[in-house]
Amino acid sequence: MKKTARLRQAAFFLLVVGLALVLTNTPGQAQDAEAARLITGQVFDKQDQPVIDALVTLRAAPEAAPVSSAATQPDGRYALSIPKDLHIPDTLTIRIKRAHFQTTDIQISAAAVQELRNGQTVSLPTVTLQRRITIAFWLAALVFAGMLALMATGKLHNTLAALLGATTLFAVSYLGQPLQDSLFIFDFNGALHYIDWNVIFLIMGMMIVIAVIEGTGLFQWLAFMSYRLSGGHVWLLVAILMLLTGVVSAFLDNVTTMLLMTPITVQIALALGINPLALLVPEVMASNVVGVSTLIGTPTNILIGSYGGISFNDFLTNLTPGVLLALVGLIIYSELIYRKEFHAASTSGLSKVLLKKLAKQARITEPENLKKAGVVGAGMLILFIFGERVSLLPAVTALIGATALLVWIRPDVEEMIEAVDWTTLVFFMALFIVVGAIQEVGLISYIADGIGFLVGDNLVLAMLSVTWLSALFSTVIANIPFTAAMLPVIGYLTTTVPGAQNDVLFYCLSIGAAMGGNGSLIGASANMVTAGVSGRAGYSITYAYFFKKGFPALLITVALATIWLLIRFL
Amino acid sequence: MSGIVCAIRGGPASQPTIAQAISLAQETDLPLYFLYVVNLDFLSYTSSSRIHTISQEMHQMGEFILLAAQSTAGTQGVHAHGMVRQGKLNEEIVSLCNELEADYVVLGRPQTKDEESIFTQEKLAQFIEHIEKQAGAKVVLTESEAE
Repeated sequence: MKKTARLRQAAFFLLVVGLALVLTNTPGQAQDAEAARLITGQVFDKQDQPVIDALVTLRAAPEAAPVSSAATQPDGRYALSIPKDLHIPDTLTIRIKRAHFQTTDIQISAAAVQELRNGQTVSLPTVTLQRRITIAFWLAALVFAGMLALMATGKLHNTLAALLGATTLFAVSYLGQPLQDSLFIFDFNGALHYIDWNVIFLIMGMMIVIAVIEGTGLFQWLAFMSYRLSGGHVWLLVAILMLLTGVVSAFLDNVTTMLLMTPITVQIALALGINPLALLVPEVMASNVVGVSTLIGTPTNILIGSYGGISFNDFLTNLTPGVLLALVGLIIYSELIYRKEFHAASTSGLSKVLLKKLAKQARITEPENLKKAGVVGAGMLILFIFGERVSLLPAVTALIGATALLVWIRPDVEEMIEAVDWTTLVFFMALFIVVGAIQEVGLISYIADGIGFLVGDNLVLAMLSVTWLSALFSTVIANIPFTAAMLPVIGYLTTTVPGAQNDVLFYCLSIGAAMGGNGSLIGASANMVTAGVSGRAGYSITYAYFFKKGFPALLITVALATIWLLIRFL
Repeated sequence: MSGIVCAIRGGPASQPTIAQAISLAQETDLPLYFLYVVNLDFLSYTSSSRIHTISQEMHQMGEFILLAAQSTAGTQGVHAHGMVRQGKLNEEIVSLCNELEADYVVLGRPQTKDEESIFTQEKLAQFIEHIEKQAGAKVVLTESEAE
């Protein structure tokens, strides 16, 4: 009986709710009927990218006051509603106005006007807005170039250089616009749209995970085990160390990897009686090369993955074989260029005192934390690989992993918060704003147009151009801002070059930007920290020395990776 | 207390400095203290959040470098101590000299043009004067590159 009563109650409840929905929906339908007279359309730029926040107005004549207005949405769509009491004249004009674009008027056809009079919705053809070069264009370009120069010369910390760039852009926009309208670049809200929060949170989550792992002594232990495994054969040791550094770099950031690997490598080299640079330079080059194989291996891959919607698995399947090929080439090259140093080790012998000290220092200091970090790390890897099936963003996976680790280990939260490199996060936010500015004013569009014109419909030419130009540029300018600026360009080429729709050009950018870091000492932050640590041990890595060893490595590794890309995608 | 303080960084450039310090220890029969100073200034343009971990790693690397120097001294019959400090090199040298009431400080002669190094030719004379005045130790220069 009770069951029947409950069923009746449920049926009554559903009936009431259904009636309420019908009743509350009735006025809505009436409103829809009244607002049915709509003019809809979509606005794009020359690169077929939607134009956001363009002001679209409807006028009886070009000089008349607007009777309706709307702003374009993120997909470039707009919808102008026609007031029901408006007498629709014979001619109607739509005006589309947006900073950094030419104002465009569109005359609505007589047939469309008649449809509106009949109460119908009119969909207008897509409008392509033409770019307009103003003073803001040159100022934004100047700020971007200035930021790159400050980073390249080391006159300012990268974060300060990016912050200076971002605030200069705001100052120009807010203080300059009252003086001259063409000085406007973007407002604060517009600038925030360019910040990729997926990238910020992914980096932050990984920083916390790394902070837990780095204190466990894992790196030192692994490096010492490499020595043990090599049986004292230096040629084998360097190959194992390169492989180890590479694999670690594929999951952790290269700078942290090299900061932790360099001191222990110096000690191994000193114990073996060889020049530490013979181990360190191959290691850092391997770090730059193998980091490319995963989404989280390099900041440039994080940027590319987020922008291009390329998943962890995509990077693994499309780049790892090419990266392994490049690594084999790099190992052979390293064995050749340092063969004299390796030979010296076999003649000078081992220091027993130093080896004893090395064995003492290379131990796991926090085994419990390492065990927990291993479990969480494995879980994160599973989520990175399978998470895309449920649209799980990598940033969310990183945050889940970081939080799980913090809750499980219960470290000093203050220490963990300090372990997050906030300057790097601020750097990325400011960088996104500066790169957003050159995108906003149209510089990126012109670059995309230029490259598009040069490569035409030739996919191979496009692949070679993107890979090699990225590699060469990355030897002289910081690869993170370079990659961030190139993303919209690659996005455009992906849509225009036949055959590039499989994201191959994003992979070319990934290879070029990361492996290009081997071309010079300033090409990658990992190179700089390696040089910093080795210099503190009395073994300086000069710019000339690194270029002499690194640039041929760049040529070899990028060439091998290019061959793989051509095989994989053609 | 008394002794000889020898600040080293490691590498081939430090070998003559180490040799000079050992030789001086043999001559004077004073205890020898090798000093390695951890300086993390190079992190200022890259990562600032790793200071604690990297500092430990650099500390261990310093101990290792000192052990190599101590080992060299040991083979020549000189028992040497190793001291790792963190901070500014010039301040740490003076500080250690004062703690030990050191008689001598062995330094390498500069060959670098690095303007930020305290061991540029111009600054060296000032620095020697500073040590002798603040710590009362005599500075012995070798022909090698300084730290």
